[in-house]
Amino acid sequence: MTTHLNTAAMNNLSPADFMPLEKERRADAIVRPSLSYWQDAWRRLRANRRALWSLYLIVGLLSFSYLLPLIVSFDATGQDLTQISQAPSTGRSSLIVDTTPWTGRFAKHGDDAADLRKATGLEIVGEPHTESVRLAWQPVEGAIGYNVFRHLLTPSGDTDLGLPLGQTELANQVSFEDRLKLQSVTYFYSIQPFNRSGELGDYATIEVTPRHATSIESAITRGLISLEQKSSAVGQEIELKRHVMGTDYLGRDILARLVYGGQTSLFIGIIAPLLFVFIGVVYGGVAGYMGGRVDEIMMRFADFVIALPFLLFMILFRVAMGIGPGESGVTPMLIALVALGWPTAARLVRGQVLQLREQPFVEAAQLMGANSHYLIWRHMLPNVMGVVLVSLTFSIPTAIFTEAFLSFIGMGVAPPTPSWGAMCNDGVKSFLSHPHELLFPAIFISLTVLAFNLLGDGLRDALDAKMKG
Amino acid sequence: MTQYILKRLLSGVVTIWFIATATFVAMHLVPGDPLSGDKAMSAEVRKNLELRYGLDKPVIHQYGIFLSNMLQGDFGISYTQKNRRVNDIIREHFPVSAILGVLALIIATVGGIVWGALTALYRDRWPDAVIMFFVVVAVSVPSFVFAMLGQLGILTLNKWLGASILPVAGWGSIGHMLVPALVLGLSTMAYLTRLMRSSMLEVTSADYIRTARAKGVSPFRIFYKHQLRNAILPVITVLGPSIAAITTGGFVVELVFAIPGLGRYFVQAVQQLDYTVIMGTTVFYGAFLVLMVLLVDILYGFVDPRIRVGKVSA
Amino acid sequence: MTDTTAIPALEVKDLQVDFSAQGGKVQAVRGVSFSVQPGETLGIVGESGCGKSVTMMSLMGLIPMPPGRIVGGSAKLSGREILHLPVAELNKIRGVDIGMVFQDPMSALNPTMKIGEQIAETLMVHKGMSKSAALKRAVELLDRTKIPEAQKRAKQYPFEFSGGMLQRAVIAMSLACNPSVLIADEPTTALDVTIQNQVLELMRDIQKEEGMAIVLITHDLGVVARMADKVAVMYAGQIVESGSAEDIFYRSAHPYTLGLKEAMPAPNMHVDERLVAIAGSPPDLFSPPLGCGYCSRCETAMSICNRQLPELIAVGDAHQSRCWHQHQMMDASVEGLFQPNYRTDRESSSSESAQ
Repeated sequence: MTTHLNTAAMNNLSPADFMPLEKERRADAIVRPSLSYWQDAWRRLRANRRALWSLYLIVGLLSFSYLLPLIVSFDATGQDLTQISQAPSTGRSSLIVDTTPWTGRFAKHGDDAADLRKATGLEIVGEPHTESVRLAWQPVEGAIGYNVFRHLLTPSGDTDLGLPLGQTELANQVSFEDRLKLQSVTYFYSIQPFNRSGELGDYATIEVTPRHATSIESAITRGLISLEQKSSAVGQEIELKRHVMGTDYLGRDILARLVYGGQTSLFIGIIAPLLFVFIGVVYGGVAGYMGGRVDEIMMRFADFVIALPFLLFMILFRVAMGIGPGESGVTPMLIALVALGWPTAARLVRGQVLQLREQPFVEAAQLMGANSHYLIWRHMLPNVMGVVLVSLTFSIPTAIFTEAFLSFIGMGVAPPTPSWGAMCNDGVKSFLSHPHELLFPAIFISLTVLAFNLLGDGLRDALDAKMKG
Repeated sequence: MTQYILKRLLSGVVTIWFIATATFVAMHLVPGDPLSGDKAMSAEVRKNLELRYGLDKPVIHQYGIFLSNMLQGDFGISYTQKNRRVNDIIREHFPVSAILGVLALIIATVGGIVWGALTALYRDRWPDAVIMFFVVVAVSVPSFVFAMLGQLGILTLNKWLGASILPVAGWGSIGHMLVPALVLGLSTMAYLTRLMRSSMLEVTSADYIRTARAKGVSPFRIFYKHQLRNAILPVITVLGPSIAAITTGGFVVELVFAIPGLGRYFVQAVQQLDYTVIMGTTVFYGAFLVLMVLLVDILYGFVDPRIRVGKVSA
Repeated sequence: MTDTTAIPALEVKDLQVDFSAQGGKVQAVRGVSFSVQPGETLGIVGESGCGKSVTMMSLMGLIPMPPGRIVGGSAKLSGREILHLPVAELNKIRGVDIGMVFQDPMSALNPTMKIGEQIAETLMVHKGMSKSAALKRAVELLDRTKIPEAQKRAKQYPFEFSGGMLQRAVIAMSLACNPSVLIADEPTTALDVTIQNQVLELMRDIQKEEGMAIVLITHDLGVVARMADKVAVMYAGQIVESGSAEDIFYRSAHPYTLGLKEAMPAPNMHVDERLVAIAGSPPDLFSPPLGCGYCSRCETAMSICNRQLPELIAVGDAHQSRCWHQHQMMDASVEGLFQPNYRTDRESSSSESAQ
């Protein structure tokens, strides 16, 4: 157990080594800049990469909805029924066409042959475009008319020919003009002859992709061309408005609606929590500070409100308040959210205040004669703010989800006011054919909720760590 | 324990009364009355209807009748389907919602506990990262998007296998329930996973785990004998709110998957402003949730010895 | 008092433990050596953060690894090396050869498991006893640690016990398999003073009966004085002085030990007399000082103290100190140049501090 001296080290020693050390040189004092509570929390938050990116994302989303429309003008309500449910694209040109109805093609043929043959020679007449697709075919002996169908897929049999467009109307007509809500997608047209006794012949199918076109009348009314150009415009290509994110079921620009919908959703999602957290802080603070009977009665009431099933009562309040004509429905939703949301913050703050009241530093301040005004502003509020801020951050996703949920079941903002939730509701109907109408607003909701959740996590960690010391 | 249960039961009854009253007040804030609105009706018809729904009496009287009816479990007659009683509607549609909800709750709880325990075991390694990524996605994406994706998933699966493996919508078999229940339980499962993870991590660093290690107990035995049981306790406390979340979440899922549950019926009633159905269903759901929370609390009391044996603090 | 030729119950040599932290490592334990004979009590004293708990925890493999890492040294349990054993092997030692008692009995027991079951668990795991047999033995153990109504108490949960009772139960648990070494990490810190005495008394009684070695970790010199045969004073991850209890208390040879003694209230103190706190704080072990760890707080530091670490050298029979003042006394070349002005007895210290 005896340790021998390290003689090598000892040999290098000189008497000077054994001079007393001056006091100042000894203390390698730990000098760190002192940081205030919030400075320290902010430093921690910045060190958290996820929280920081979330903060950027939130700033980005707010700018998207509130700053972008100041720079670029968006039209969120303008409908363009010729551009319904367009997929996202960078730009689209349209052919200006004259929409005088087609007289059609006729061919005389016998109509009492024994059996119907298959229709042949099905062809497209002229250039197919979204204002009209003209079909013509060879007459079939024995047929008195033809059924015309349009399908988005290759027909797989007699029963799968798609949307019945109608029948040829005139005797001997061997042509059909389709002007029914055409879009610039691939169609499969089928014709099927039938005879006097109603028997059906084999069908013939042709594939066609009409190009986008605008009738000259609508081009003029929508201001795409001027009246003077009317005579020369037919056959001209014009650039249509861009829809970077496509259009919805009414041909409205989705990007524009996302921008303005963001204003609605973010407004509800941020203002409502601000309001109810504020009310909750005051309510809970008063209850906790007063204590005793007042506290008991106040908190019992808060318990009742918390027991109300949240979404059910959101719906109930929304129904009760109703939305008058021309109103957006934002105010009723705000009121309902505030009416149901405040108790959580109130409970939280009350608990904190009760704890703080017992803290030695508060008791010390009281003993030193601090009045309640001082106590509240100097000791209570600063110590409660951290918890309140975290609770506020976590309330925002809930509020945004609530808006989306209510709009989704048709109990949200009133059309035509856009909101991300309402856009989702619109998009659901055509989700299988045009998924972008649901996906874009859903992505915006998700990003917002994600950002606030991660920021809330970061804030909680930053403030917690400080609380733990 | 008995005293505790009685106390909770009493406060539950008061809470249900509050819910009923809030419902009544909310519905009487409606501008005008439920009868004026859709179509003009003759004075006589109106009078008859007022009589039928008791709208001719003063509000306070109506409240009295409403309360006594509620006490007897009578929710009145539907406004839109004049010969259907709200009780019958609930009796018919609620079991469907309940089955779906229970299935979703089981999926959410079991999933939450398993995933949460896994993330804690593999803390800061890739399984933790992967699971927590999905958790973040699941709490950030609105439930209706998952419902739509679920439906799309079924369609794609069926197309892929060239057969109808799972029905896209409707109700009747286990196959109808699987995807909707999964969708319904998803966000709750994510929430419980997070909770279980932090609870596990807290337990892992607890002193009594160190004690168990110092006793020479094997890691596996420590995991299931000491960690799991203590870590599950906080998960049980939030089962009450989880049931509420799943119940209201059911509205969307039932709507999207065309499931004839009470949630879907409630949304329809709301859209058609069927006042008695709205009121009846709200009070029913409210009472149901209060009872569920009560049940969970009592269950918790049995699981946590500190409450079961110890003195109970309110 | 002990037979020095016998194999020590626990012998630790030059133990080094690191914790990796962001941007480097913290050298929590920097070459600690000690030994305890069967039936002997070693007190390890030091302020919080000095590495005394980490030393014992790392022997048991109870420090989290990573970030913790045993860098070097050896630990022999009755002659058998136990450092770096795999968990499965370690589990055959934990609770069997080494029992452990922790600081806070309130949190050291599983809150959702009955006391009896927690004691029985050790027996079931190590001795393969059936549950009923193990429970019966658990009641006996509780009885032995003087818990009244042990039969009934065994069926209760930790929250139904008082702090002192809980610590008795923890001791009962650690004794379940008759370990040869009992490590008690601040066993009385969380307890009332009156309860402290009872618990210490209990440990002493049991040691007398069982003859096991006790390693008592504490920052309370009073506890050490009552219990320990040998004392090791730890500072900044090193043992700065070790020796018999008499050596440490009456012939202190390290300024830190003296500082600790001055900071301790004594029964013969005057009411007006103030306790002397050691100014400053221990060095950051993230980058340990080149010289003596106590240098920055030492009243009698010399210029060499700042630059070079003193060795642990013998200053008496089984009494060692890690201080340049001792080196100086031994080295003829520097003898007489510096007269240490530290006190070796309480009287002079209290008179000085009163000035």
